[in-house]
Amino acid sequence: MIGRAYSNDVVLDDPHVAPAHVRIDRGDDGRLTALDLGSANGLYPARGRARVPLLALGDDSVFRIGHSLLRVRTAEHAVAPERPFAPRERLWLAIAALVILVPASEIALEWLTEYTEPRLVTYLMPLLAMLAVVGGWTILWSIVTRVFAGHAWFERNLLIALTGALIYQIVGAGSELGAFGLSWSALETYNYVGFFLLFAAMTFFQLRQINPTHQLAAAAIVACLFVCAVAVQAIIQSDVRPGPSRATVRLLLPPSLRLAPVDDETQFFDDVKKLQDELNKDRTEEP
Amino acid sequence: MLDPVVAPRLRLPRSSSFDASSEAKDLLIPFLQRPVAKIGMVLAALVLAWVAPRPAVAQTQTAQQIYAATRPQLLQIRTVVDAADRQFVIGSGFLVSADGLAITNYHVVSDYALDPGTYRLEYAMADGGQGNVELLAIDMPNDLALVRIDRHDTPYLKFSKRAVEGTLQKGEQLFSMGNPLDLGFTILDGTYNGLVDRSYNERIHFSGALNPGMSGGPTVTDDDTVVGVNVARQLGSELVSFLVPARFAAALLARQEEAGDKPPPTDFTAEVGRQLKDWQEGLYKSFEASGFKPMVLGGYDAPQSTAPWFSCWGRTNSDLVPRPRATVNATMCDSDSQIFIANDLNTGRIHVTHAYVKSDSLNEFQFAAFLSHEVQPGFFGGFSRRWQTRQRCEEGFVHAAAAGSGPVLRTVWCARAYRAFPGLYDVALTAVTEDNGRQALISQLAMQGILYDNAVDIGKRFIEAVRWAR
Repeated sequence: MIGRAYSNDVVLDDPHVAPAHVRIDRGDDGRLTALDLGSANGLYPARGRARVPLLALGDDSVFRIGHSLLRVRTAEHAVAPERPFAPRERLWLAIAALVILVPASEIALEWLTEYTEPRLVTYLMPLLAMLAVVGGWTILWSIVTRVFAGHAWFERNLLIALTGALIYQIVGAGSELGAFGLSWSALETYNYVGFFLLFAAMTFFQLRQINPTHQLAAAAIVACLFVCAVAVQAIIQSDVRPGPSRATVRLLLPPSLRLAPVDDETQFFDDVKKLQDELNKDRTEEP
Repeated sequence: MLDPVVAPRLRLPRSSSFDASSEAKDLLIPFLQRPVAKIGMVLAALVLAWVAPRPAVAQTQTAQQIYAATRPQLLQIRTVVDAADRQFVIGSGFLVSADGLAITNYHVVSDYALDPGTYRLEYAMADGGQGNVELLAIDMPNDLALVRIDRHDTPYLKFSKRAVEGTLQKGEQLFSMGNPLDLGFTILDGTYNGLVDRSYNERIHFSGALNPGMSGGPTVTDDDTVVGVNVARQLGSELVSFLVPARFAAALLARQEEAGDKPPPTDFTAEVGRQLKDWQEGLYKSFEASGFKPMVLGGYDAPQSTAPWFSCWGRTNSDLVPRPRATVNATMCDSDSQIFIANDLNTGRIHVTHAYVKSDSLNEFQFAAFLSHEVQPGFFGGFSRRWQTRQRCEEGFVHAAAAGSGPVLRTVWCARAYRAFPGLYDVALTAVTEDNGRQALISQLAMQGILYDNAVDIGKRFIEAVRWAR
């Protein structure tokens, strides 16, 4: 007997459950059934919107009454072993490593592009910005996790934030390196795809932490947001009105980082000639 | 007296330094820094002091007589906004035939020529007469236009035989007429100083005080024959003005008289495009023919043009404070070949620049970042959304020089098309040497108003010529 009243075998503290809501019987064939004892809100199978008066249960079934999900297993069902916590020492080791690596990478990248007199401010500002973003992300998600999952998981959120920051540096530097070294400027023009992907992945891991059972839904939501963000950014970029030309050579790196093969003159100018057709099409567009 | 609302868009000088665009400053600043220029300015001041007082009574009378004789042939040409019935651009002109043909500058009538629906042309004479003007023909590269006024049996000016034959002497006194700043018809005198040395388009150097509004007016010798047509003055200088030689105006008139009753073109924009195409053929054939001569710049051969109509300046960053961590020594050559198409479009110039950059205390990554900032935008002369499409670029690593004689180049080719002139493009080619992590040559070639195939040919020759110095 399952219900809200204290006389039941299983007492549910759910206001939407009737005092006497469901009875589980074993039939003559040995199979379990769940019977609705005349509740207002009804009995529902795990996946289904239609209420049923009677539900056949298998070895491992889930049904819904009120706002509660109940899982019924037969006694023969194997019991999974206890899942241990992630060892805290390993977590803190990773965090410590990242706390050194991330600012170091930021300083290194700033230093490598510094060609005027070195000033403390040029290094301090990005570090402070990074601190604000990482700190903000960790605190925000800790609050959300606490609210929805009962525990803040601060260390894990910090780990996700720091890992995200490191990958952010890698994506940024990688797109520049690829744009120059592989002579593939699209890598830099569209590097926002990489950044949005990173952001989506981080959000997915945070959501998974709050509710490990609904991973598919979380992944779907995150994927949707990712596609929307990329689409909006693409529209903004393509809608830019033509203006005075920016510097032609966008980015140079040391010659030793050139990975692409060298064109000979004919190949390059063949590509150049193809531009003429595109320009002629541009002529017919509205100014 | 000058109605500030109407504040006429006084169109005088389309001299290369006259543009309010940034090139004007770029050209003027190096000019002023050169010690030769400073001496020149002092000399100019002395010349002014000499020229200023009017000593001989005979000269004054000549000017009086000349003005009296030519006054009936002078015109003010106005471009009027049709809907508002107010003047938009004013310039001058002069009659050249008995049936009302007159010469003025193309830039005085360009607004009407390119957009006849919005504007109309009117004239005013010194005696107060007014009327309508019909545009018959243009010679855009020489900034001339032939118009007809609605009068018959008009007195007219003849062209100076000596000017057309080219036998004028430097130092001859000339008299220039027009309607400067809408103040009324005036005459002023100045000196003939030959043809401008380094101009691709032939222009007379006239030492006189031409002012906006006098464009299209005649400049005559003391026998009342036209030597040149007022066209431009040099901004930021004193008494440096320019005239279009009379022989071009005479030729334009002769062509029109040959054409007889043939109606003028209905679409002058197409005519401008046609003349531009013909003109750029001449310019770029001449440019290609004179070829590239290597100039040693920090261990590299930097290709320079030997065409006589380039003026070149040097640039360095060694005088910056604090001391830069990489040195830049550059040469910039600009062709004096600009032509006016519209208020927001000048074309026809060629830029060749080279910058040798060497690291002082920068590592390879920092040097690359410095280089990225040092590379200037390839296009110059502004961008007009009305006339030009946006740019499209092609980037790559190219090895153009013959094997073993030159470095790999990071090459960027950018081009944009002219909307109204099919077949013509602006092209900007940039090449950065990639053989050394701590020194590099940045070479840039920019060409305005060029046929695409011409640009490709010249561009190939240019990057082939970037080599290691022997």
